[in-house]
Amino acid sequence: MKRTLLAAALLVAMTAYAQPKPPPAWHQGKPPALADSKLAPLPGRMTETPASEIPINKLKLPKGFAVEIWATGMPGGRAMARGDKGKIYLGTRGIGRVYEVTDDGTRRSVRVVVDKLVQPAGVAMHGGSLYVMAINKVLRFDGIEGDPGVAPVDLTDKFDLPPEQHHNWKYIAFGPDGKLYVPFGAPCNICEPPKEYAQIRRYNADGSGKEVIATGVRNTQGFTWHPKTGELWFTDHGRDWMGDKGPEDELNRMTKAGLNFGYPYCHAKGVLDADFKRADGCEGVTLPVSTLGPHAAAMGVIFYTGSMFPKEYQNTMFIARKGSWNRTVKFGFDVVNVRPSKEGKKASVKPFLTGFLEDAKAGKFWGRPAYLLQMPDGALLVSDEQMGAIYRISYVGKK
Amino acid sequence: MLLRFTGRWAWLTALFVSAAGAQSIPERLAQCAACHGAEGVSAISGTPSLAGQPELFMENQLVLIREGVREVAPAMAAALNGVKDADIRALARHFAALKPPPPAGKPDAGTARRARELSRKAHCGSCHLPDFSGRDQIPRLAGQREEYLLEAMRAYRDNRRSGGDTIMAASLYGIADADLQVLARFLARLP
Repeated sequence: MKRTLLAAALLVAMTAYAQPKPPPAWHQGKPPALADSKLAPLPGRMTETPASEIPINKLKLPKGFAVEIWATGMPGGRAMARGDKGKIYLGTRGIGRVYEVTDDGTRRSVRVVVDKLVQPAGVAMHGGSLYVMAINKVLRFDGIEGDPGVAPVDLTDKFDLPPEQHHNWKYIAFGPDGKLYVPFGAPCNICEPPKEYAQIRRYNADGSGKEVIATGVRNTQGFTWHPKTGELWFTDHGRDWMGDKGPEDELNRMTKAGLNFGYPYCHAKGVLDADFKRADGCEGVTLPVSTLGPHAAAMGVIFYTGSMFPKEYQNTMFIARKGSWNRTVKFGFDVVNVRPSKEGKKASVKPFLTGFLEDAKAGKFWGRPAYLLQMPDGALLVSDEQMGAIYRISYVGKK
Repeated sequence: MLLRFTGRWAWLTALFVSAAGAQSIPERLAQCAACHGAEGVSAISGTPSLAGQPELFMENQLVLIREGVREVAPAMAAALNGVKDADIRALARHFAALKPPPPAGKPDAGTARRARELSRKAHCGSCHLPDFSGRDQIPRLAGQREEYLLEAMRAYRDNRRSGGDTIMAASLYGIADADLQVLARFLARLP
């Protein structure tokens, strides 16, 4: 063990010596074979896409399900949080806005709640307040559903946010314990992360009581709690530049606080890292319940507990996969239905909503499903970050 | 530089603020041309050429400037105040369809060699493409004004560029001024 550590330290020191300037964060670990690769992050749109330009008819679902365009006009809209009065709030990244969607029963209207923020991806409702988390700011809007003009309370100082930006846009949610769960991604593709990163923390709602509850988490952009066990389940993005096969994204289950989920040494179901090599890299690591596909960008995850869908879907999971960029043949761009085994140790993954990806080889796609929300009537809302739209999936029976 | 703009272009700012909300596309384009050149090729130091930029890149940058996420000279920000998405898309389409700017001469052999070496190390061509023509949300670099390229790269490197994705800042991390100058000189001279 000692020798391994020494070797690892030497390797790190040698790497540091040979490479005084770190390669770009997203590019770290790119092997020579991929040196001439033209893969690049996929382009997102920042202007409104009218419903008439959304090819909703291209979407496919299992028999008996229907999909419709529910709301448009929210460029970059992704994570959704629903208030008690039915208003829905959406976070964004680049465009810096948080949207509010109001449903009058037949039509949806959209307004911007706050703008000019640095990637305000995190939105959550708790006790009638909207919590917004940007990379460098935390705001709370009290009673916003009834008081649209309410001035936010700035909670930033309470949350001890570290400075790095890469992978530090956030998905946030309140757990059954009333605490706010917040991820801090690795500030790179692959690196030995500084101690404030590659982890999930939880806080009291006011920002006090900070606690690191999981480590070795590269970049989780979605989590939820099992309706019966109350355990936290989360998706995590696998690293880039290790080829088309993976390592695959993960679906993890946190049975208790303090577990290590492997980054940067151990990926997917026990794949050792190509750059941070350690023979015992997977020792003591909690492996995922299931993998979710290579570079799939698994995002939002929910357990379905509604009464609208057929019984077989009860307590199964839906996961949105925004789709790959770091892969020559594209993968994902769908919503999958995931059914964990009774013991929760493995799971089946089946396509549910498809049709966003038109040509995997040519990299042609039109939408990128990102997050999911179960409505009180049991319908499933899906946000499409590419189109700035929300779709509604309902069960209409076998007609 | 921002301050100088405020003074020199104050009249223009006032004009834009009063009229930005309700102008036709030709009126807007005439405003663009005042600084960015009639054919989208800028003759003003510090003002970028827009001709031949990818359409989506133009769209995204215009939105980021309008939203106040990307900070620019006040006259530019004022010109986009309240402009609707549909107009932004029309402006983007217009500039994307123009002939890219002519290169500012030919790079000397030493500059070209060094620049290609730097670009290989920083993986510039992976996103901007090997001929630096850009694509989708990623800008064209070939033929852009040299001093504009240099300042843009410095701003990214020093975390002064607001509204950029985290990737570009990380891509230029630790590269010396002298090397950025070589890159800018080279890129400005590419067709």
